[in-house]
Amino acid sequence: MIELKNIVKIFNAATVNETQLFKNFSLSVKKGEFLSVVGSNGSGKTTLLNIISGSLPINGGEVLLEGENITKLPEYVRARRIGRVFQDPSVGTVPNMTITENLSLALNKGKPYMLKFAINRRKKYQLKELVLQLGLGLEDKMDVPVGLLSGGQRQALSLIMSTLTPVDLLLLDEHTAALDPRTAETIMKLTDEIVRKKGLTVIMVTHNLRYAVEYGSRLIMMDKGNIVIDKSGEDKTNTSVEDVLRVFNEISIECGN
Amino acid sequence: MLFFSTTIDGLQMGLCFAVLALGVYISYSILDFPDLSVDGTFPLGGVFCTILMLHLSIPALPAIILSFLSGFAAGALTGMLHVKFNISKLLSGIIVMTALLSVTLALTKLLTKNGQTTSIFSFRSESIEGLFGSEFFTAFGTASKDYIVIAVLVVIVIAVKIIIDIFLKTKLGYMLKATGSNEKLVISLGKNSGNYKILGLALANGFVSVSGALYANMYMQYDNTCGSGKVVMALASVIIGVTVFSGIRFIKDTTAVIIGAVIYSLCLNYLVLVDTGGIYLKLLNAVLFAVILIFNDRISSIVASKNRLASRSAKND
Repeated sequence: MIELKNIVKIFNAATVNETQLFKNFSLSVKKGEFLSVVGSNGSGKTTLLNIISGSLPINGGEVLLEGENITKLPEYVRARRIGRVFQDPSVGTVPNMTITENLSLALNKGKPYMLKFAINRRKKYQLKELVLQLGLGLEDKMDVPVGLLSGGQRQALSLIMSTLTPVDLLLLDEHTAALDPRTAETIMKLTDEIVRKKGLTVIMVTHNLRYAVEYGSRLIMMDKGNIVIDKSGEDKTNTSVEDVLRVFNEISIECGN
Repeated sequence: MLFFSTTIDGLQMGLCFAVLALGVYISYSILDFPDLSVDGTFPLGGVFCTILMLHLSIPALPAIILSFLSGFAAGALTGMLHVKFNISKLLSGIIVMTALLSVTLALTKLLTKNGQTTSIFSFRSESIEGLFGSEFFTAFGTASKDYIVIAVLVVIVIAVKIIIDIFLKTKLGYMLKATGSNEKLVISLGKNSGNYKILGLALANGFVSVSGALYANMYMQYDNTCGSGKVVMALASVIIGVTVFSGIRFIKDTTAVIIGAVIYSLCLNYLVLVDTGGIYLKLLNAVLFAVILIFNDRISSIVASKNRLASRSAKND
């Protein structure tokens, strides 16, 4: 469960370029909920994720994770309980390390990284089994540097790495946007599978309205720092892509786009 | 004969600087941090080791190992300036290097008991039994002395290489690699990437100081100007080593760096033979570096295309 209470976010404060994105923004995502967030550029979707992950400071309000106030915690401390997959596939992995090495790093999350050997034969076997279950054909490339893999393969790996250890919340930041349509579909299916299997709480930002409608249990649309659509449960099941698109176009016309 | 003795000299220098290059390999290649404090931590290791040996009468080998600590502290300072106070990488290196120039000078003053500061502090032969001291060699005769120096240096360099290789296979080593290559991932693993930067720089400069200590032992003197140009030298060794030998799969980066250091030192020594006046030495030095990099580009592209051909024909089979 993640709660945002009365968030205030001002960019370029005290300059001519001062813009207030969030005036009094509140959002609450229940445990086990899969929330899709859509909206035009500049609506505050990514800022929302950055505020939750702690990579952006806020000017007012509170962020609560499982009831605990995490507003003042730095990003790396929050990351112990929050997984995140970025739009750029290269951000979620270490390019000059192999698949095995990358996974061994992720598997150790939450434990100390000291002078123990990172990989032994048992762990190597365990990681290969894990990759085999995915059925992506990566099991033959365990000793290949991740930088040599395709964007889709890397994004699949980022997804697995961010959910390998238990997390209270998973943030997906347009994680299929840099992929071709077919690969994006594969990654989206994999995401859904992992989320269902582990019962994760998810916030997914996407530009793909179809994904937002098809996947997840709740959908919100944002515009200029406000929530303009909020549908969940049966209400969401009955929503079609066209419904969402209509509202989206109305907003865009208002903006003069 | 002159050529022969130049080769021997070059080998000794190269092996001594291999430890320096291995340190810089950690900061430059692994952490992606062009660390200029090296010019200060190299003489720091030398003077620290000398003090330990002359004033505290600690035997040479433990003194050399202990001098690791001096560089470790200085490197950690560079890291903290960058991480905690957001000073840029180059500037934090420059600050520490500049400060160390005075520190080493003050330490040198501590060595000369009458309080005079001399740019070159020499204590050859009588007062010190260095790591390569005289007693050890009398059994072998003076002619073989050079070979024994090389043998001892080889053992030390290989020991340092093995330590670094093993370290890089540990979880901590992995985090260091990850910090240099993708800091965001380290943060997403719930760790403060700044701490790994500080640790990495400390370790790197620790090895640099060990190299400085070896250098002082090898020439049985400490010279406060011995640090100048060491950054360039180390970077050249690392770049030559890693880029020239990266095409060959079974050679590890650490081995490549050692070979790079030896090759570069040998070339530098041969240049002295070419330019006996010594005026154009630095110019030749620069040309050499450029030529190696230009040719390396050609060579590595040839190696790469051959590899591609080989893999293609393997597929066709």
